[in-house]
Amino acid sequence: MRYALTTMILILCGALSLAAQPQGGRVPQFEQAAVERGKSTFFVNCGFCHGGNARGGDGGPDLIRSVLVLDDEEGKQIGGFLKVGRPDKGMQAFPNLTEQQVGDIATWLHSEIYQAANRRTYQIQNIVVGDARAGETFFNGAGKCNTCHSVAGDLKGIGAKYDSVTLQGRIVMPRGGRGGGGDGALPPGPLPTVIVSYPSGESTSGELIRITDFDVTLRLASGTFRTFSRRDDDVPKVEIKDPLQAHVDMLAKYKDADIHNLTAYLVTLK
Amino acid sequence: MNMQGGRNHKKHKRHKRAQRFLCFLCFLWLCPLSVFGQQGLDPSLLLEAPIDAWPTYHGDYSGRHYSSLNQVNASNVKSLSLSWIWRGNFTSAGAIVGGEGTDEFNGPGVVKAIPLMVNGVLYFSTPDNAFAVDARTGRTIWHYFWKTRGGIHIGNRGMGMYGNWLFFETPDNYLVSLDAATGKERWHKLIADVKQEYFSTPAPLIIRNHVIVGMGGDSLDVPGWLESRDPETGEIQWKWNVTPRPGEPGSETWPDAYSMEHGGGMPWQPPTYDPDLNLLYVPTGNPNPVMAGQSRDGDNLYTASIVALNPDTGKMVWYFQCSPHDTHDWDATQVPILFDAVWEGQTRKLLAQVSRNGFFFLLDRTNGKNLLSKPYLESANWYLGVDAKGQPIRNPEKDPQIAGVLVSPGSSGATNWPAPSFNPSTGLIYVGTTQSYSMFYLTDTDPRPQGYGAAERGAGNAGSFLRAIDYKTGDVVWKRATTGSAQGLLSTAGNLLFGNDGAGNFIAYDPKTGKPLWRASLPANPANAPQTYMLDGRQYVVVGAGDSLYAFFLQQ
Repeated sequence: MRYALTTMILILCGALSLAAQPQGGRVPQFEQAAVERGKSTFFVNCGFCHGGNARGGDGGPDLIRSVLVLDDEEGKQIGGFLKVGRPDKGMQAFPNLTEQQVGDIATWLHSEIYQAANRRTYQIQNIVVGDARAGETFFNGAGKCNTCHSVAGDLKGIGAKYDSVTLQGRIVMPRGGRGGGGDGALPPGPLPTVIVSYPSGESTSGELIRITDFDVTLRLASGTFRTFSRRDDDVPKVEIKDPLQAHVDMLAKYKDADIHNLTAYLVTLK
Repeated sequence: MNMQGGRNHKKHKRHKRAQRFLCFLCFLWLCPLSVFGQQGLDPSLLLEAPIDAWPTYHGDYSGRHYSSLNQVNASNVKSLSLSWIWRGNFTSAGAIVGGEGTDEFNGPGVVKAIPLMVNGVLYFSTPDNAFAVDARTGRTIWHYFWKTRGGIHIGNRGMGMYGNWLFFETPDNYLVSLDAATGKERWHKLIADVKQEYFSTPAPLIIRNHVIVGMGGDSLDVPGWLESRDPETGEIQWKWNVTPRPGEPGSETWPDAYSMEHGGGMPWQPPTYDPDLNLLYVPTGNPNPVMAGQSRDGDNLYTASIVALNPDTGKMVWYFQCSPHDTHDWDATQVPILFDAVWEGQTRKLLAQVSRNGFFFLLDRTNGKNLLSKPYLESANWYLGVDAKGQPIRNPEKDPQIAGVLVSPGSSGATNWPAPSFNPSTGLIYVGTTQSYSMFYLTDTDPRPQGYGAAERGAGNAGSFLRAIDYKTGDVVWKRATTGSAQGLLSTAGNLLFGNDGAGNFIAYDPKTGKPLWRASLPANPANAPQTYMLDGRQYVVVGAGDSLYAFFLQQ
């Protein structure tokens, strides 16, 4: 038995489990009204020293990284601390803050910590900074996008169909990959197609679901699955065609400006 | 086993037995008698290639993931078949229960550990669980369950063993010591604060009377360190901070004291060790904030580095930085592989790392001098070259930007934590790799960014391969496509390379060509490297996959 030289790469979707320090654990719930009140109370009473975003200022430390704040449970430790302050370091006491005000500040600080520590919550800023005209030139020129796509056909109105980040993701790789989850989840792209054929002439085609050195699984047009064993004499013959291969090939060719310009161009296709 | 191999093996064993006995006498002099019992670990096993034991995470101190066993070999591997399956119960039911918390994490159990095997018993851990399993039958002997205070339950690499005592770390950052015979807890010690987003996954490493402990956690900007604890009492013997303090060497690579104190660098991979040089090789994690580097100008030592420490004092002897000023969460926590081999006509003490950033590094492990730096990932697009010290020069244009930059590899890396393997017969290092791409978006433009500071969106993959790298050149001698990425590997003197294809097939490859010689289709893909041992004259090969362990041997 001769094993096939190539095993098709199927990173179809989802996250790999190999993150250095991946996210996990329970998702805390923050009362939004308390968060808003806490932010205001903090800004008025604490922002001068600690900065309006609590990341520290000239007079006070970053509270998002404060061990006291991190260890706090429902404002208990923060409240106790605010009653006495830290006079030796210039931190005055705040004995007049009400229990609710302290609780609100604590809620806001903990929500800020959660936002900082959980990258799935990060908001991508405005990424439409490219030159739409240059993007159009690339689309019809070096990028060869018009070989498969048409702005009057399959891409008509695509600028209205997707937000800019999703659109950029679909330009680079419609199938997505690691990091594609959460708010940035990409719709699944088309699967590769495969033809499995035997010397007898028997042939089966469908969407490629899985291929290894030992087997290949197809989804037939009827929706049913079928798996074939593979032998090391290249029987059956397996021919794979990935409709997204041009996108894969472009990964090594793109300049970042090309991606920015293409995005700027496609968002105009409303 | 062939006859020639058998004679050499016996001679080798006699010599090793004598060595072992001498070491054992030394150890008796150094340690109290109470640590030795019928089930305990003969400490000299840690000083030699594993044969009838797998006494530490990497099998031995070298990190080679190489076994001199050859009963299972290329000529008979087609007869390798199932001996037993162990499937875990990861709840507190029927277990010895410990822990400082009140919660029971009953998530899916995945064995990412490499089990120890000592005197016929396998010892391994998963988040909040520790197990002793009969290495002959796969039956559970005892189960210890830890009630948690929280923490990220992503995985656990396994245990360390000293005499009769076991050590493992928990997601809420405790070092727990158990009696290997009974599974009863001896003590537990707090390593780090779970509320600061620390979580612990490494397998502790035992060096003489040092329990070497690291931790992880880079969701917030907290400092990383490595520490040594006393196996008797659990008390700290020394602590090495990954990032320097003001005035210390390396502090010139940070803008200020504050950035150093919040600079990360978690050492979350079990280190390797050279007993002759008495040097501990520690691969360190990424700096913090992870992807927004504007508050930490400079190289950010000693993050994303390989560092040599004296294991008795924790003092640094040398360092080599793999990713100066890392902004892609790559770190450098891949295994520092130790071997003696020819370099430019002379046998040298070498250290190799197939690093997550896509570079292969070869160092002189006596002094950290770089011998070779070579990219092994065709798609890597983030560097401008290599400096005089052999360290990659990053392209700042590939740091995360507001509008997005396309970078390969993505943050999951060209490879990752699962153990690669070095085969001294082929001179090849085997490693699972992927040519991933990601868009990196700077999201936190504040002068004081927090946490990751950037978002990542996967952008595809130009191919995943099991690669064989020639240590002398850094060239990829062969590669074989997989559907996975990083993977745990094991080489044996039986001319076999055990690994997987990412699709659930546990495979024995020809180490010279990459051709599959044998495979078993498992319900889940192996999560880490297999290990192997001799027991009752039979060679077992054991691998964890999903919630189970699978043991294979030759049917008789």
